[in-house]
Amino acid sequence: MFELTLQALYSGLLTGAYYALVALGLALVFGTMKIINLAHGELVLLAAYVAYTAESQWGLNPLASIPLALVLVGFVAVAVYLLVGRIKKDRELNSLILTFGIGIILTNFVLLVWSADIHSTTTTWFQEAVVVGDILYSSRSEVLFFLISIALVFATWWWLTRTWYGRAIRAVSSNRDAAMLMGVNPRQTEVLSFVVAGVLATVAGIAIYTGQVIQPSLGLALTIKAFIITVLAGMGSIPGVLLGAVLIGVIEALTVTYLSSSLQEFTGMVLFLVVLLLRPQGLFGFGARRG
Amino acid sequence: MRTNAVFPGLIVFVLYLAVPVAVGHIDYVMSLIIAALTIGGIAVAWALLGNLGGMVSFGHAAFFGVGSYVSALLTLDAGWPVFAAMLAGGAGAVIASVVTMPALRLRGPYFALAILAFAHIFRILATELESITHGAGGLLSIPVLPTVAGFDLGTKIGGYYVILTIVLLAMAGYAWLRQSTMGLALLAMHDTEDATRIVGVPSTRLKALMLVVSAFITGVVGAFNAHQINFLDPDYAFSGSWTVLPIVAAIFGGYRTISGPLVGALVIYLVDQLVFKEFLPHGHEIILGALLVAMIVLSPTGLVPLVMRMVTRGRHAQA
Amino acid sequence: MKNKLRTLALAGAIALAGLVGAHAEETILLGSHLPLTGKLARVGTGMHEGIAVAVDMFNRQNEGKYKVELVTIDDETNPAKAVAAVEKLAGEGVVALTGGYGSNIIGPASEAANKAGLVYITSGGVAPELSKRGHKGFFRINNTEGYSKAMMGLLKDMGVKKVSILYNNKEATTDLAKTVEKDLSDQGIEVVLHAFDGATSDFKPLVNKVKLQDKSDAIGMVGYENDYVGILKAGTVLKPDVKAMVGVWSLATSKMNEEFHDLVQTVYGTSMLPYPAEFTSPEAKEFADTYQKLFGKEPDYLGQFGYVQTKLLLEAIVRAQQAGTLATGGLAEELRGTDANTLIGRVKFDENGDNPFFSHRMGQHQGDKVVLVWPEDAATGKMIFPATPWSQ
Repeated sequence: MFELTLQALYSGLLTGAYYALVALGLALVFGTMKIINLAHGELVLLAAYVAYTAESQWGLNPLASIPLALVLVGFVAVAVYLLVGRIKKDRELNSLILTFGIGIILTNFVLLVWSADIHSTTTTWFQEAVVVGDILYSSRSEVLFFLISIALVFATWWWLTRTWYGRAIRAVSSNRDAAMLMGVNPRQTEVLSFVVAGVLATVAGIAIYTGQVIQPSLGLALTIKAFIITVLAGMGSIPGVLLGAVLIGVIEALTVTYLSSSLQEFTGMVLFLVVLLLRPQGLFGFGARRG
Repeated sequence: MRTNAVFPGLIVFVLYLAVPVAVGHIDYVMSLIIAALTIGGIAVAWALLGNLGGMVSFGHAAFFGVGSYVSALLTLDAGWPVFAAMLAGGAGAVIASVVTMPALRLRGPYFALAILAFAHIFRILATELESITHGAGGLLSIPVLPTVAGFDLGTKIGGYYVILTIVLLAMAGYAWLRQSTMGLALLAMHDTEDATRIVGVPSTRLKALMLVVSAFITGVVGAFNAHQINFLDPDYAFSGSWTVLPIVAAIFGGYRTISGPLVGALVIYLVDQLVFKEFLPHGHEIILGALLVAMIVLSPTGLVPLVMRMVTRGRHAQA
Repeated sequence: MKNKLRTLALAGAIALAGLVGAHAEETILLGSHLPLTGKLARVGTGMHEGIAVAVDMFNRQNEGKYKVELVTIDDETNPAKAVAAVEKLAGEGVVALTGGYGSNIIGPASEAANKAGLVYITSGGVAPELSKRGHKGFFRINNTEGYSKAMMGLLKDMGVKKVSILYNNKEATTDLAKTVEKDLSDQGIEVVLHAFDGATSDFKPLVNKVKLQDKSDAIGMVGYENDYVGILKAGTVLKPDVKAMVGVWSLATSKMNEEFHDLVQTVYGTSMLPYPAEFTSPEAKEFADTYQKLFGKEPDYLGQFGYVQTKLLLEAIVRAQQAGTLATGGLAEELRGTDANTLIGRVKFDENGDNPFFSHRMGQHQGDKVVLVWPEDAATGKMIFPATPWSQ
């Protein structure tokens, strides 16, 4: 029993890191621009499929295909930003619908180009087991991307709070005009925000490709999960994203172990609702959530 | 204002008489129209909640599914007459909306997501509570709409009339609410909630009422669909498309207008299935996405206002 | 002299007319609805390929006599659109329908076919209720029992005492898992059931639970491709000490062998034919060749099913046409009279349209091949037992 619990906690921790990678890009854009990019999951998916093509056609290791995926995803991310920038009024709602439409286009694009077949990495290195103390099992890809995830979360947080660009982004989001007066170019910082989100999405996509199975329908599911974690974590809290994601991962693993594995998604949703209703600013956030 | 009464009247006439006469014998086209109207019904309910309640919901499938299941189970397992069961379906959706009411305190996107979470939860419950809902296998051979006054509503034309009436009634209710004092209060609230609270408008209670109305309409539409398709399972009843398509339709048609959602639903569904699907059997959903993007960028208020603008511009030019 | 010439000319003209008349080709309009997009796009496309091969082979064999025109509509994995597709095809005057995937889609679609008085044959819906509705025109060549027989037969032959079955909580998979559980328990084999949500991506907690708590001899998996890959990946990491990993559909396929080669070694799944397909009968050879010609790949089980169901349907159509009963609803009778030995074994329909003779076979991934290991009379090799991908 004890072993089971430990493994569940461990698995949940690692899964949470994956989720955090996926959620980070969405959280960044949402937190800084108040824009909900419903096409975010599709960006992650695109990166994963680029990795698949690179591996199956040219035998490239998934990690090596990150720069390749970055180009495509970055391009699409900028395109999304440009389209969102054309919205004049009701930005919150309209960007929601707009990015949703873009998501449909991307999912169908993936379906048309790559078909509905499932894929996952064939490089066995990623699937080899890493055993800690004889009772904690994980695959190499999980451990690797767990570390990468923590590093990226830290890097993003540091970038937002310590660098000029990061602070510029936050300035623009809290008061656009004042920021302009201070010499910040809002469009530049917003594009940057999207591009950074794209980078995060790319890494997440490679992570998913090495650790799980990809298929076109994954895009929307990823977006929803990412959004739930973002909201759970709370507005404006980047470290909160990692903690929130790990929380969801652990709850899911514990549910499988102690309740029924059929209820995995259920408890995550219930947890999300409970937090949302009891602590609307999220677990770690600052902004107001009540309307 | 007076001309506005003739125009809708004409449209209603066309819908009730001309359409069945023209295409009533082509089962396939009628199926599409009925499906489009079903989406339209949810779209009207969604727009009502959005405009009067000020809340954007991303999980109307929750109410749709609950309405479907309640009605189907009552007719299949408890032998209820279909129309009574459909109303009970609406009531079931209302109860479901009461469960979601704590989420009304949340702002915009958070409320939207909360409802989405509820939709997922209901779907999982429908799968797990096998003894009541028949589990993942769902329900087959749900009773069809009955014969009323010698007219068999179980036919395509019959089904068409029923859903058309439901949608038009919903639109009428929406219009009435909008110009009532309650509606005025709600619209004012939309702009400055704090100010209206100070004046004494019970904002949460009004919002709750809108949620109830929206849920009821959606539940009845869901119940209708169950008796029309005669089949139900958790994935289908709570499918994301029951949430997504109505939103697309409402936005496309113009969600601030009464007729926008319905027009949007008809255009999107019919054009997609009858036109796009012929040209691009595999990728036609992509065109839908592109249309949506174009609409938001070019005319965010939707199709109906766009057309209205073009029509009024023409009229002014003539004067 | 003139009379003889005239008679000769007349005889020649009549002969010519007779020849022309005999070569009047009859066109048969055949309808098909399948998920070509949406969630079930992959399996729908596979089945469509098999149907197309059957039509192609039929047209070549019956050149000059009959020509089948296949009309396929994508139902987008949506029940309402499947119903609309059936109605559209009925409106276009198709003679019968072949296709459909997913019991939840086949249910409403076949109801629509029944209302239109059209025969509907499928291999994509194994739910028991489908054949219990009293539809005289509904036929299917496979069912849950057939899959269960295979899985159970294999496990019995292995001599295992306890099996843990992990199953996707969707309807078809739940049904099969419960049927297998009952069949195995009747044979004195202990079964532990674990349902999982279809959205599960990390199977480690579940597999760990099975490894530490159940302590079974074998693990059964009832799910879809992504489920198998997920479970096997978890197994690769956790290395549960079992003697066999046994799945059902979509597992013992060439695609799994090619793409997930190391992951599926020694894993069992249902399969009608070995891979590389060793087609012994001339019909099977031609089937494989036509498939290769039309689609540039080896046929998989979906194509095999699509082919068999359509071939049987077309043969019945020809019989009904020749008996003159095609237009008067005689097709269902003719189809019910089928008793044929096909690529998937014997097919004979009972009064509900079910094929009680359907029994699948089990294949095992051995190296670059899928070897049929059960039942003995269809086996092309011996099973490697006990073995799992991680015990290699």
